[in-house]
Amino acid sequence: MIRDFGWFEVLSIIQGMGTTLALAAVAFIGGGVFGTAVALARSSAWKWLRIIAAAYIDFFQGTPMLMQLFLVYYGLPVFGIHVSAWTAVAIGLTFHASAFLGEIWRGGIQAVPKGQNEAASALGLGYVSRMRDVVLPQAIKLSFAPTVGFSVQLIKGTSLAAIIGFVELSRSAQIVASTTYKPLLAYGLAGACYFAICFPLSRVSAYYERRLALKT
Amino acid sequence: MATTAEMQHTTASMDAAADPIIQIDNLQKYYAAFHALKNVNLTVRRGERIVICGPSGSGKSTLIRCVNRIEQFESGSIVVDGISLGEGMQNVNAVRAEVGMVFQQFNLFPHLTVLQNCMLAPLRVRGASKKEAQAIAMKYLERVRIPDQASKYPAQLSGGQQQRVAIARALCMTPKIMLFDEPTSALDPEMVKEVLDTMVSLAQEGMTMLCVTHEMGFARSVADRVIFMDAGEIIEEAEPEFFFSQPKNERTRNFLGQILNH
Ligand SMILES: Nc1ncnc2c1ncn2[C@@H]1O[C@H](COP(=O)(O)OP(=O)(O)OP(=O)(O)O)[C@@H](O)[C@H]1O
Ligand SMILES: [Mg+2]
Repeated sequence: MIRDFGWFEVLSIIQGMGTTLALAAVAFIGGGVFGTAVALARSSAWKWLRIIAAAYIDFFQGTPMLMQLFLVYYGLPVFGIHVSAWTAVAIGLTFHASAFLGEIWRGGIQAVPKGQNEAASALGLGYVSRMRDVVLPQAIKLSFAPTVGFSVQLIKGTSLAAIIGFVELSRSAQIVASTTYKPLLAYGLAGACYFAICFPLSRVSAYYERRLALKT
Repeated sequence: MATTAEMQHTTASMDAAADPIIQIDNLQKYYAAFHALKNVNLTVRRGERIVICGPSGSGKSTLIRCVNRIEQFESGSIVVDGISLGEGMQNVNAVRAEVGMVFQQFNLFPHLTVLQNCMLAPLRVRGASKKEAQAIAMKYLERVRIPDQASKYPAQLSGGQQQRVAIARALCMTPKIMLFDEPTSALDPEMVKEVLDTMVSLAQEGMTMLCVTHEMGFARSVADRVIFMDAGEIIEEAEPEFFFSQPKNERTRNFLGQILNH
């Protein structure tokens, strides 16, 4: 059936954009929380914890996100664990994002001068306070640019969620394209939507980086 | 002023005689295969001011960093104010809360203001309220005479000011002992004095101090004892008048010859 490219088509692409944003938010929150844990494990004083974290990072950086999503969505039910598409995608994206963010933030943690940790220790601060109050704020600042860079990749990467049934931005454009036979318009609009999300992110990042640089 | 200082000086030494605050016995420290501290023994009495000097790489920093366990050690014992450092993290944290440390590179927290730098440990270690921590911080910033810089970031201050903030930050924990690791070595010459003056006034208040420094004027006027280290060992220790006028060891004489002729 051929439809005209009307408000319904525009709305369904915008709805797809909403799903993309929701997927990105889930990935970033899950990846942020677990990525912090991975980064701390990776730079911990315990050797075996570092090794486990390194293996985790290597596995999820070394395999495609497509495969990770498949594994979670079709793999968990094999073990009798039935999950909704949202849960599966949340788990998959969290694995993926936490491995990359963990590695980025580990670099940041290790780039904080050793004297900072020593001064904090000398004041009697415990591990939690040393990390939360002294090391992590500086590490995050040091890894700000690669973090934003990865986030932009992540937003675009959420299009893979289409393979387990999500009608996000790319998929909605595909549907509109095939029902209207106006692929250029459909994908052009979707592209504009991606740009509208990602471009401000890069600008905001540049702005904050300049502001943070001024403070020290 | 001079008489008060002298009186405090004598009182401190007398109390101290009976009362070691740091007791280091048979301390051995290795960096992998490198023997950095070779059987070091040192007793510091309450209120005593000790200056440690020696050539680069002799183990001065390593020694004072063992006192608050910023550096691990392999064998021997260190007891600080009755707390043994060998036994678990709880003791280490208890010692660190009582021992302040000032570093050559200041090591202020660059993302926090001067005030926040000073408030952090009272807040997190002493469990002070925000208001209390702020009062403590301001008290010691006044003590080092820079309360007006409280809301600035460390990078906005001169080196001398930064080092005074670092001293204030340590004092906010009301330590019983202060460790200084070459506190003036990274400073431009014109800023050395303001930091040394702060240290002198601390000494006059009876603070127990362990200072690694090559400021021999400071050693002469403030130290109760000067310790000379070389190759991981304490080679010589004496009161400053004897240390500078009649050094016994050949290596001490060489070292003094080098730094005093500079
Ligand atoms: N983390 C480390 N790893 C390996 N070797 C170290 C380490 N820290 C210090 N050393 C070595 O231990 C020895 C003593 O070092 P230390 O820093 O205590 O000397 P120092 O007397 O303070 O010298 P300086 O006057 O240069 O500060 C040096 O030979 C140094 O190379
Ligand atoms: Mg040193």
